[in-house]
Amino acid sequence: MNPALAAIAIAILAGAIGAVFVRDARVAVLWLAVVLLLGPFLADPIAPASGLVARILGAVLATYLVWIAVRDGAFQTGGSRLGWPADALTVAAAAVVGFASHGLGAPTPGPEFASAVGFGLAAASIAPILTGRDIIRCGIGLSLLLQGALLVRVGLGGTPTTLESLITAGTIAAVGGAIGVLAMAARSDGTAGFALAEELPPRRRRATDLRPDPRPTTQDDLE
Amino acid sequence: MSLLVLLVVAFVGTGAALLVRARPRIASAVGLGGLAVLFIAALALDPTVRLDVGGMALVSSPYLRLFLILGAFTGLLLSLIAVAAGTRRDGAAVTLGTLGAAALALSIPDARVAVLAITAGGMLGVLLTLVPVGARVGAGVGLRDLRAVVVAGAMAVAATAWIGRDLQDLVAQPVVFGLAYLAFALAVAIRFGVIPFHIVVARLTDAVPETGLPILIAVGPASLAIVGLAWVDASIAPLPVDVGAERAIVVAVAAASIILATFAAWIQDDLEHVVGYSIVGDAGVVMLAFAALDPAAWTPGRIWILAFVVTRSAFAAWAAVVRDSFGTSRLPDLRGWGFRSPLLVAGLVTIIVASVGLPAFAAFDARSELVGLALDGPLQTVVLIATLAPVLYYARVLGLGLRRLDSQSARAVAWRPTWTPLDMTDVRGWAGRLYAGNRVLGVTALSLVLALAALATSMGAFGGPEAAAGLPPADTIPGETNP
Repeated sequence: MNPALAAIAIAILAGAIGAVFVRDARVAVLWLAVVLLLGPFLADPIAPASGLVARILGAVLATYLVWIAVRDGAFQTGGSRLGWPADALTVAAAAVVGFASHGLGAPTPGPEFASAVGFGLAAASIAPILTGRDIIRCGIGLSLLLQGALLVRVGLGGTPTTLESLITAGTIAAVGGAIGVLAMAARSDGTAGFALAEELPPRRRRATDLRPDPRPTTQDDLE
Repeated sequence: MSLLVLLVVAFVGTGAALLVRARPRIASAVGLGGLAVLFIAALALDPTVRLDVGGMALVSSPYLRLFLILGAFTGLLLSLIAVAAGTRRDGAAVTLGTLGAAALALSIPDARVAVLAITAGGMLGVLLTLVPVGARVGAGVGLRDLRAVVVAGAMAVAATAWIGRDLQDLVAQPVVFGLAYLAFALAVAIRFGVIPFHIVVARLTDAVPETGLPILIAVGPASLAIVGLAWVDASIAPLPVDVGAERAIVVAVAAASIILATFAAWIQDDLEHVVGYSIVGDAGVVMLAFAALDPAAWTPGRIWILAFVVTRSAFAAWAAVVRDSFGTSRLPDLRGWGFRSPLLVAGLVTIIVASVGLPAFAAFDARSELVGLALDGPLQTVVLIATLAPVLYYARVLGLGLRRLDSQSARAVAWRPTWTPLDMTDVRGWAGRLYAGNRVLGVTALSLVLALAALATSMGAFGGPEAAAGLPPADTIPGETNP
C-alpha cells in the first residue's frame, strides 16, 4: 500500500465532499479544482510527463471556465441538504466498497485507491445530479461523476497512455466549458442566479404562431 | 498524414469558430469554411493509414472515410440552411467539432479511449441550446443534454474499462459481463434519447433549431453506437455466458422506441417534434443491432447507421426550410403547403422513399435483417410492421400539404427563381435584392440535394455496404502504410 496514494485519495474525497456541501459557489468550484488537479496523480506509475501536464492544464482550464461564472460571488449554489457528515459518510462507504471490490473479480494493473476514490466520487455525484436545482451544483455533480469513472478506469486498466491523457484532459475541459457557458446563460436571464427555470409540462398542441407576413405573398408581387 | 490533417482541420476550425463567436457572420463563415475543408479532407483520406500518437494507434478505414464524407456533406448543407434561415450561430462550429470527435473516436482501436472522445464532442451540443430570449430555459435544456452526455460517457467508460483488460484469472460471476453489456447499450440509448430516455429529445426540440437536431441526437450518438457495436462484437458476443436478461432489456428499449416514437411523431403538431421523434424511432433500429448480439448484425447495423444519419438530416433540413418558407412549423397552419411550394413536395417524397425504403434498398434490407436477428415470434412481425409505420406521419404531413387552399392556408412563397435587372449604380443593393428574392428557393434546393443524397445512401450508393462490411479499426492492419 502506497501512503502517498492514500494521502492523495483522502484529499480528493475531501475535495468532493467540499464541492457538493458548500453553498458559496466560489468555494465549491475551488474544492472541485482540488479533485480535478489531484486526479491524475492517483495512478501507479504516474502518467508520462506530457500526459500529466495535459491533465493538469485540462483541470485548470475546466476550473477557470466555471470560475468565470462564479467569481463575483453574486449568486450561491444549492449546497447539500443533508449536511456534510451525511455526505462524508456516503462517500466513505462508497470508497470502502470500491477499495474492497478492487478489480471487480480479476487482477488489475491499477492501484486500489483509484477504484476507491472512483466509487466515492460517483457516490458524491448522485445527489447533485438527481436533485440539484441549479447549474453549478448539477455541473459539479457531473464533473465528479466523470472524474469517478475515469478513476475507476485507472483502477481497472492502469496508467493511461499519453493520447488517452490528452483526450481525457480535453473531455474534462469540455465539461468545465459547458458548465461555464450554461451558468453564464442562466445568470444573464433575470435575477435568479444559477437556478434552473421552472419546468413546463411537455406540450403536444399549441396555439398558432403565424404572424402577418411582411414578405411578398405571390409570385406576381415579386415580379 | 491525411488522417492527421483531417483531425487538425476539424479541431482548429472548431476552436477558431468558437473564438470569434461574438461576431456571428465571421463565426459562421469560419465554421462553413471548416466544414468545406473537412469534406475535401474526408474525400482525400487514405482509408488504410495508420498513425502512432502518444502510445496509441490511430487507424483509418473505408467506413470512417464514408461516415466523414457523408457527415461533412450533410453538416455543410444543414449549416448553410441554418445560416440562410438566420438560426443559431454556433451550428457550423458544433457540427465541425462533433465530426472531429467522431473521426478521432472511430480511428482509435481502444474503445475505452474512443468513448472519451465522443463524450468530449457531445458537450459541444450545449452551445446549440443557448437562446437569445429565455436564456435560463435554454440553459436548463442544455444541462439536460450535458447530463445525458456525461452519464452515458461515464457508463461507457466503466463498461469498457471492466472488459478492456486481461480477464484470464477472472473469478467474478458471468452476470458482470451482462451488466457491462447493458451499461454500454443503455449509454447509447441515453445518447440517442430513445424511449424511455426521450425527455431530453423532447426538450431539445423546443430549444434547438431543426438543423441542429441531427447533430445532437443522430451524428454524435451514431459514432458512439459504431464504437459500441465493435466493442460488443469483440468483447461480449464471443463469450459463452448467458446475458438473456440484459438482452431482453435492450430488446424492450429498441421495440418500445420503434413503436412508440412513431406514434409520438404521428400525433405531434410541431414539425420539429415530428423530426425529433422520427430520429428516436430510427435510433430504435440501431438498438436492435445491440440486441442481436450476433456478429451478423455488424454489417447491417453500420449500413443502417449511415442511412439513418443522412435521411434524418435530410428530414430535419426539410423541416427547417418549411419553417423558414412559411414562418411556422405548426402543422395545422401549413394546410396547402404543397401547392405553395412543389419543390418541397418533391423533397418530402424523396425523403419518404429514402427513410421508409423499398425492398432491395440497402437500408431497407439492413433494417429487416436487424429485426430478424434481434427478434423472433410475433414481436418480430409487430416490430417489422412498425418500422414501416413512419409512413403514417409522413402521410399526415404530405396530406396537409395537398389540402385545398383556403383563407387559413400556408402563405405563398417565392419558390420560383427571380431575376432583378443589374443596377450598376448599386451593385451591392442589387446583389442583396437578388439574394432576398431567391433565398427561399436556394434553401429549398439545398434540402432537395440533401434528400437526394439520403435516397442514394439508403439505396446503398457511395460504397456503403462494402465499407460497412469492413473490420473495425485494429492496432495493426494488413498492408498498412505508415505516413
